[in-house]
Amino acid sequence: MDPTLVPLAFFSVAGLVFAYLAVVEKDLVKAVIFSAIQSSTYTAVLYLLRAPDTVLVYLPVAVGLYPAALLFLIGKTERGDGE
Amino acid sequence: MRKYLVLASIVLGVSALAYATTYLGALGPIGSDTRQLAKLFLMHTYNPEFPELTAMSPEAVTSIVWDFRGVDTLYETVVFYMAIVAALAIYRGVGYSAIRGAGLSVIVRVVTRILIPMNIAIAVSIAAHGYLAPGGGFQAGAALAVISVLLAVVFSASSFGKLGISLARAVILWTAGLLAIAAVVFAPVAFSAVTGVRAFLMQNYVKLDSPFAFAIHIYGQQVSGTPTWFNLAEFLAVSFGFFVIFMLLSLREDVVREQLGESRGH
Repeated sequence: MDPTLVPLAFFSVAGLVFAYLAVVEKDLVKAVIFSAIQSSTYTAVLYLLRAPDTVLVYLPVAVGLYPAALLFLIGKTERGDGE
Repeated sequence: MRKYLVLASIVLGVSALAYATTYLGALGPIGSDTRQLAKLFLMHTYNPEFPELTAMSPEAVTSIVWDFRGVDTLYETVVFYMAIVAALAIYRGVGYSAIRGAGLSVIVRVVTRILIPMNIAIAVSIAAHGYLAPGGGFQAGAALAVISVLLAVVFSASSFGKLGISLARAVILWTAGLLAIAAVVFAPVAFSAVTGVRAFLMQNYVKLDSPFAFAIHIYGQQVSGTPTWFNLAEFLAVSFGFFVIFMLLSLREDVVREQLGESRGH
């Protein structure tokens, strides 16, 4: 068995868990943080899948710029997710 | 109830995809061999033996992005350009100089001051070696754009003005990047108009019916023709495009409403 499959499975499952937490979380700031953690795990997945070009663009966009844009927007609206 | 629905949809979705990709072979053979398409690109990415087909750039992804399917990337850049034009149109009339703010604690500010030069160095290196190793203009631009977020959050939106980064200057640098891309796109046609030699838009290296080629070596250093110049120009366009966006987004909502109300007579 390819030894990279073990960390690949770990980061994939961790990404799923944080994706779930991001969806169900009512506090939008926490949801963005969960989403950023999920993106970090996917960065590791992409690296293990030998896609370094994608890693270099995914890391700043999905972990830095995208959560930042969302946090700025949340700052202009409301922090809670209304039903 | 909502939590269970989300959980069930995730479990079902993942199970279906896992089943399709493993037992049904939906993605074809994985990991067993390099695919034919990949072999084709790898063979032609840097291959002086086939001058009419190669991109003369050792980095396969950059070759694909800026040569083999370069027009696609060009229009992606145009889409990004239009999105920023839209943001500027929405925020038109908002003065950036009136912004005041304190930022975060001194510890965070000192750490960020150390991180920013490292960030700039990494971004420039990603752009400059994009033709040779993983990286490129968009990757480097996105990496540099993180600085705009750090400045806005850690030092407050007022820090842009203190550092001499006005919205107008960011727009000028962003536009300069786009003009540089346009210059590389039109350079072969301009060359053709002056010399009479046949050349095509965005042409990187020689073609069957055109001897035009960008310099592949400069003073003995491999530079790989258009991908290098596109990467550097895209780096400028993307990084300052994001700077414009985050400078606008970091404005306080009440300040924006107040200024827009005054300037538009609401």
